[in-house]
Amino acid sequence: MTAFISLRYGRREKHALVTLEDTDREILYPVLFWENSIGRSRTSDIRIKDPTVSREHAVLLRRSNGWFIADTGSKAGVYVNGQQAQGRTPVYIGDQIRLGLSVLTLRRADDTTAYSEREYLRYKEAKRESRTVTGSVLLMLITVYILFLTAEAVLNMNSFAPVIAPLGFVTVMWIFYAVSRRFFKRRCFELEALAFLLSGTGIILNTVHDQRQSFVQLAALVLGIIIYCFMLWFIEVPDRVMKWRWLIAVGALGMLGLTIAIGTNLNGAKNWIVLGPVSIQPAEFVKIAYIFIGASTLDYLQTRKNLFGFILVSGMYVGVLVLMSDFGTAVIFFATFLVIAFMRSGDFKTIILAVTAAALAIIVVLSVKPYIAARFQAWGHVWEYATEEGYQQINTLIYSSSGGLFGVGLSKGCLQYVFASESDLVFGLATEELGLIIAVLCGVVIGGLMLYARAVITRSRSTFYSIAACSAAGLLVFQAALNIFGVVDLLPLTGVTLPFVSYGGSSMAACWGLLAFIKSADERTYSHRHAKTVPADDDDDGYERSDDPDYTDYTEQAYTRI
Amino acid sequence: MKRTRTRSIMVVLLTLAYFAGLIYHIVNLSLHSSEWVSMPQNAHIADSEGLADAGMIYDRNGIVLAQSLNGTRIYNASEAVRRACLHVVGDDSTNISTAVQTIYRSELSGYNFIFGLGQPDFIRTSNNITLTIDAGLQTTALSALGDRKGAVIVYNYKTGEILCMTSTPTYDPQNVPEDIETNDDYEGAYLNRVLSGVYPPGSTFKLVTSAAALEYIPDAENIEYNCTGSDEIGTKEFNCFSVSGLVTMREALAQSCNCYFGFLALRLGGEQMTAQAQKMGFNNCYTIDGAQTAKSIYNVSEANDNELAWSGVGQYTVLSTPINMAIISAAVANGGIPVMPYFIKEIKGATGTLKSGSTSLGSIMMPPDIAQKLYDYMDYTVETNYGKNYFCSSLDICAKTGTAEIDEGIAHAWVTGFSKDEDCPLAFAVVVEHGNSGYGVAIPVATAVLDAAAAASTLHPYSRFRSAP
Repeated sequence: MTAFISLRYGRREKHALVTLEDTDREILYPVLFWENSIGRSRTSDIRIKDPTVSREHAVLLRRSNGWFIADTGSKAGVYVNGQQAQGRTPVYIGDQIRLGLSVLTLRRADDTTAYSEREYLRYKEAKRESRTVTGSVLLMLITVYILFLTAEAVLNMNSFAPVIAPLGFVTVMWIFYAVSRRFFKRRCFELEALAFLLSGTGIILNTVHDQRQSFVQLAALVLGIIIYCFMLWFIEVPDRVMKWRWLIAVGALGMLGLTIAIGTNLNGAKNWIVLGPVSIQPAEFVKIAYIFIGASTLDYLQTRKNLFGFILVSGMYVGVLVLMSDFGTAVIFFATFLVIAFMRSGDFKTIILAVTAAALAIIVVLSVKPYIAARFQAWGHVWEYATEEGYQQINTLIYSSSGGLFGVGLSKGCLQYVFASESDLVFGLATEELGLIIAVLCGVVIGGLMLYARAVITRSRSTFYSIAACSAAGLLVFQAALNIFGVVDLLPLTGVTLPFVSYGGSSMAACWGLLAFIKSADERTYSHRHAKTVPADDDDDGYERSDDPDYTDYTEQAYTRI
Repeated sequence: MKRTRTRSIMVVLLTLAYFAGLIYHIVNLSLHSSEWVSMPQNAHIADSEGLADAGMIYDRNGIVLAQSLNGTRIYNASEAVRRACLHVVGDDSTNISTAVQTIYRSELSGYNFIFGLGQPDFIRTSNNITLTIDAGLQTTALSALGDRKGAVIVYNYKTGEILCMTSTPTYDPQNVPEDIETNDDYEGAYLNRVLSGVYPPGSTFKLVTSAAALEYIPDAENIEYNCTGSDEIGTKEFNCFSVSGLVTMREALAQSCNCYFGFLALRLGGEQMTAQAQKMGFNNCYTIDGAQTAKSIYNVSEANDNELAWSGVGQYTVLSTPINMAIISAAVANGGIPVMPYFIKEIKGATGTLKSGSTSLGSIMMPPDIAQKLYDYMDYTVETNYGKNYFCSSLDICAKTGTAEIDEGIAHAWVTGFSKDEDCPLAFAVVVEHGNSGYGVAIPVATAVLDAAAAASTLHPYSRFRSAP
């Protein structure tokens, strides 16, 4: 809804952070991103048409403590002020960088010509047009929405019991808002608003059917928010992620192994660990670990195509999931693998190879264990299996039709009596009781996470964040597709949850964890702290010096846009 | 970064595919919602509540068959009418899957995709349904069938309107018997046997075998065969009810000689027999106003010679629904192309007419010259074998009976045919379970209904209701 309006801000790359000036040839290269590839290749961010420059020559990075340059295996090498750059070498304003025979000087963006002036005017124009919605307004809208539904539930059920969980939810949401603003100095809440909208809808649906479930869901939401905040802190420094990633990989695999060893088989898949009153699905949390491992790569700007280690890890994860008969999650991991592999390598051959290998593996598995295929035989003709494998789907279709656009009312539905209605069939339950509009809106919001991720990736501080955001959003969208299209018989029913909405504590908490990846790609997430910690006279860029007060404000905005 | 952005198009495509899927789902749901919402599994409407505000159901003459008053469903005042129309109208439950109150429950109660079933009463617009059946004919058919289980279908082969569609056993929808699930007398009471009952067609299937022979064997009508009452086909015996002597096709059909048609089937072979049977509606379901018929079956892929011969006289594993046989008779009467039967004349409400029945043609069953020959043969059969007067005093009927042997118990009695009258063009089929004789049992039932129909047509000529195509 309104959250999307605020997503329409101008693209960051429209104005330069700094510039590189080739004084010999009088060419000015604007540096637009936090990580820029330099080379002769057409896809380089800074393309230098000089035969002595390699296709992938170097990468110019911005970190919180300044600009750096790193050689990415060039033939002629990189020299900063005459010294050959080894590893990551700091570059200061005025330094000369020699790549082959080309000599580039790092300059502030406002030092040079009318370029930035023009951009500045363009920015002011864009600012006049843009309408942003503040976080408090968004959360207020969600509060109204939730309270409205709560009132409906109270009227329909003639009982005040269903008010507890929604009120708890609203409280949690505003506490999160207050804490985020005061202690983390965050200013934007679009992404969180989307997730709260979905989580709140899920909690409302649970509270009218099974109050205990709604409390579980609420507790999971709190846990999820804690994970979310922890993750945002943890991945703030990419180097920390690099250091930990192998430990995370092994830990996650160990968790899956443990599930196989001591796991419990509930509803056809051995993917639960039961600890007293708490039962968790470790595979949900492994999703977070998987994106850590996949996105954290030391290859600067995906110039290398070495995916061997990652493919190995992915194969192990998917294999273990298949052993657990958790095919839905296995497919999600595979889809996420494809996204990460492509984002990292840009190599279609790898993708085609992986898909072919997977297809072969499926054929082998099906020929060895044909009963697995029987689980999916109803797909496409659910009405013929109305009392068996197609039972959940036909009920979803029947009761979705009964709901119309506005629903039959909370707690008045009949799909609630069908097995797994609050988890696997939650899309149908929402359609029946809340109406097709709200159900589809939930679906669209999940798709919106992807569009959000896509909108922020080029402004993120590192490709690590970009890839992590895209793959996390891709994972959520793919999972939503499996869930929604599974119950309406467009895809086979695999029994995965609808992110944020479905009942399931592990799923809820893990989804918030995944959300952190998308949030971290948005540079505004960390910007306020940087504006404070980075001294104004630091030479990491050229914004802070200007006589025009409005202009200064503008550069500040670039960091701390509200 | 530029590269990352370019590559991220892949996930954007994934998302677009996901959005496309959502749109597909919405479109799909809007197209099928009224069908899905009427499914018998739907607990919202499976009980009488689903009909609390439903519209009226009328027969062709405007007699009210069902209506809702103060939240209850009230059926016609006469118990005989209620019982006779049960399988077409339906009851409060959705147990009779082909009934109007099951298939069109959502239309009756004014369901629409926008509001779903949660529609507030002040904007509810229920629809009324007018059927093509005649309540009078329904009761005539019911009393003619009596206590026997069976089915009667009579429809206008020029317009397609079903005038009578009666199935027994039946029950009173206003007072559903409590022992309906346990009492053997009510066995299969939820089935409309006209649409959903399948029986071995017996000698009525000889119409199909004749059509196949005329289609695939040159000069087939003059093939002669000397029937001695029995013969040996394969290693088993094959027998007739009587000794027909030397017969051609016309005489063989009139005397219903099994041996003649057994040999025809053998000569044609399984492939050609199957081809013709499929043209004539076998191995296929019809959908009539949303009600799907049971599948009539002709499958000789594993039959030996003896069994193939038996299949030629409608035995072996051959099965037919009554409506399928009526459609075959209609095709013969109509020059080889049947007019498809329908029973909904109109669904109309405050928002306009949702559906109105119209004449539609089925696929070609046989060329016109073959239809003409069968027409003559059926005419000849009645004239020489049953007697025109025995059959029906008011209409000129062409027909074929059948006595279908079953594995256990007394044979089923069949008759199918059509009237020659321009003003009263009726095709019909009657099955009486365990009736033992098509001639002795099925024909009197047909006669009673056809006479009543003829009498009704003098008041409201059927030809006037809809013009011929």
